[in-house]
Amino acid sequence: MISARAGKVDAGRARHRLSSSELTFGDRVLRAISGVASVVPTAILVVIAVVMFITALPSIIFSGLSFFTGSVFSFGNLYATTTVTHNGVAAPPHAVYGVLPLIVGTLSTSIIALVLAVPISVGGVLMLSEIIPRKISDSLGVFLELLAGIPSVVFGLWGVAVFGPFLAAHIFPPLSALGHVIPFFKGPVGQGQGLLTASLVLAVMIIPIVASTTRELVRRVPILAKEGALALGMTRYETVRVVTIPYIRTGIVAASLLGWARALGETIAVLLIIGDIYSVPSNAYGNTSTIAAWIASTLDGAFGDTTGAGIHALAELGLLLLAISLLTNFAGRLVVRKVSGGVLPVGRGV
Amino acid sequence: MRTGLMGGIAVFGALAVVACGGSSTPAATSSSSGTPAPAATGNPTTAVSLTESGSTLLLPFLQELVTPLTTQYSNITLAPSGGGSGKGITDAIAGNSLMGGTDAYMSPAQFTANQTLANIPIAVSAQGVWFNLPGITSLKLDGDVLAKIYSGTITKWNDPAIAALNSGVTLPATTIIPLVRQGSAGDTFLFTSFLSATSSTWSNGPGFGTTVSWPKVSGEGSASSNPGMVAACKTGCIAYIGVSASAAAQTAGLGEAMLENKSGAFLTPTPTTVAAAVTAGAASIPSNLALSLIYQDGAQSYPIVNFEYLVVNTTQSSTDDALAIRTFLEWTIDPNGGSQSTYLAKDNFVGLQASVPASVLSAIQAKIASITG
Repeated sequence: MISARAGKVDAGRARHRLSSSELTFGDRVLRAISGVASVVPTAILVVIAVVMFITALPSIIFSGLSFFTGSVFSFGNLYATTTVTHNGVAAPPHAVYGVLPLIVGTLSTSIIALVLAVPISVGGVLMLSEIIPRKISDSLGVFLELLAGIPSVVFGLWGVAVFGPFLAAHIFPPLSALGHVIPFFKGPVGQGQGLLTASLVLAVMIIPIVASTTRELVRRVPILAKEGALALGMTRYETVRVVTIPYIRTGIVAASLLGWARALGETIAVLLIIGDIYSVPSNAYGNTSTIAAWIASTLDGAFGDTTGAGIHALAELGLLLLAISLLTNFAGRLVVRKVSGGVLPVGRGV
Repeated sequence: MRTGLMGGIAVFGALAVVACGGSSTPAATSSSSGTPAPAATGNPTTAVSLTESGSTLLLPFLQELVTPLTTQYSNITLAPSGGGSGKGITDAIAGNSLMGGTDAYMSPAQFTANQTLANIPIAVSAQGVWFNLPGITSLKLDGDVLAKIYSGTITKWNDPAIAALNSGVTLPATTIIPLVRQGSAGDTFLFTSFLSATSSTWSNGPGFGTTVSWPKVSGEGSASSNPGMVAACKTGCIAYIGVSASAAAQTAGLGEAMLENKSGAFLTPTPTTVAAAVTAGAASIPSNLALSLIYQDGAQSYPIVNFEYLVVNTTQSSTDDALAIRTFLEWTIDPNGGSQSTYLAKDNFVGLQASVPASVLSAIQAKIASITG
């Protein structure tokens, strides 16, 4: 009876649960360790969220909704001898915390990066695993994994020293000619820092994440289905279109989400190349900033605020980034579930 | 052995001064006549590592001092690191470092919140405004024009307001690209202090601070350090750059603007014009030593000048730490110690004693002497 009950509850687990007296010492140690370990990930997330919320609370009260709608961010006059009190929270005079430009910067850079990276990654992987001979594709695939292991600061450095100036000299000027059709590309192209440069570097950074995940998916497509398609007289291209892509479609969404999460939270590479200026850029080349980059670059200034309002505001920004990351993750899970009916492992890359 | 013996005498002197509340003792470190009595100093009996963090502008100067300091005082090792001015102050408050370097003096609120903290000026720095206009070597600017450039009101180099200051110079009809420093920077504090002092629109608008909400200017650029500003200043650009990077700016082919001072004279930062600003601005100094040297009186005073500060806790947990800090600070401002031109030259700093009046120097030395353990 026991086994039937256990089977009903969870078919995947062991049918018979041993009583404590039957466990060896080693079993108990393992049970204790794994019991603690199973709680750790949940606990970490909850603790981080709660601590961030408590630190951010004064800022949430101080700024209210204007935190999300305002576009001026200033720690105020830190040298004033007085403080101002708003909604019961003290801050330096002229302190304003409106983070709309950062929300725009974070979402626009990460979405542009995603739009560029996903087709390249998926197309590249299909090419690698389905079209190119196995020998060559295996050795090329190694580079994909190597690319995923490059530290982000290296991407940032490359963006500042090589890629940005190259874009400003050779790619952006012709692109700005498109400005007559798409106003977003119009105007001064700047010096290779800014929104588009950051998006492009982010795209390069997330390609290996999306691609290596997609590569694993493609490998799991049953060989029989592919062989069947070929046996029916389909070309390789048709096999990819009819068999492989439908098979990995939901997985691509999950892979894209991994990449998106990485792009949302990427800090140092973005900070180095985005210009880190507090404004919504008027064109694709304008300097702007993201939530993660702004927290990193202004933390030193926030320390100078003895009222603590500056640190609280940055904590609220951190909380906002956490919320955006979780939201994209949940939204992605929802999409995947809708499309596939099952749950695919969707993780975060931040 | 000789230094050890002298160190021993100096330590005795230090203890004697602390115990007797400054009354003269035979063993007190000698001071040459005419200058105010310096704080009791000497080599501590145990090895002290003088940890420092903060201002990256101050860092090259402090790094220059590491070797000569240990040569002079075998038991004091200076360990400077960067991190930014804000970190310097918070590290000194939290006790993570014995000293915190900062380009901006502490705010009234910081003094109120940390009664035992002192900021000690150790050198004088300045900031230049540089431009990249091929063919133009000399350019005059004033604070009001700079404020308008950084507000986006003046956008072209041949704007009438700039032309009016520069008769005889053929200015191009190109767009001005203003550069700002990313995140929080001591140099932003100095530059916006100057703009606030000269333009009421600026002081009522963005104001001054290490982090400023810059008005949106089309085509503006940014950099994360003084050398970064030099590298980012391409044709048409204007940038504020600390004197520590002046040589690099010159090598890069940038021109240094002459800024209008309070008396209407147009000057670039030189040891003479910087010292003149200190002499004018530091005629007297508040007891907490927090003093702005921006836009001072005097025909020869360059308008963007500042003290470089080390923030220290005047109540140290150990007498040796306190002695090491006093010794280091006294030695650093000594023209025969750390303030020799070879060390100052690394950052283009001006020595403190060369520029401040005796009363101010004695106020600074009294503050150094008040550091006890």
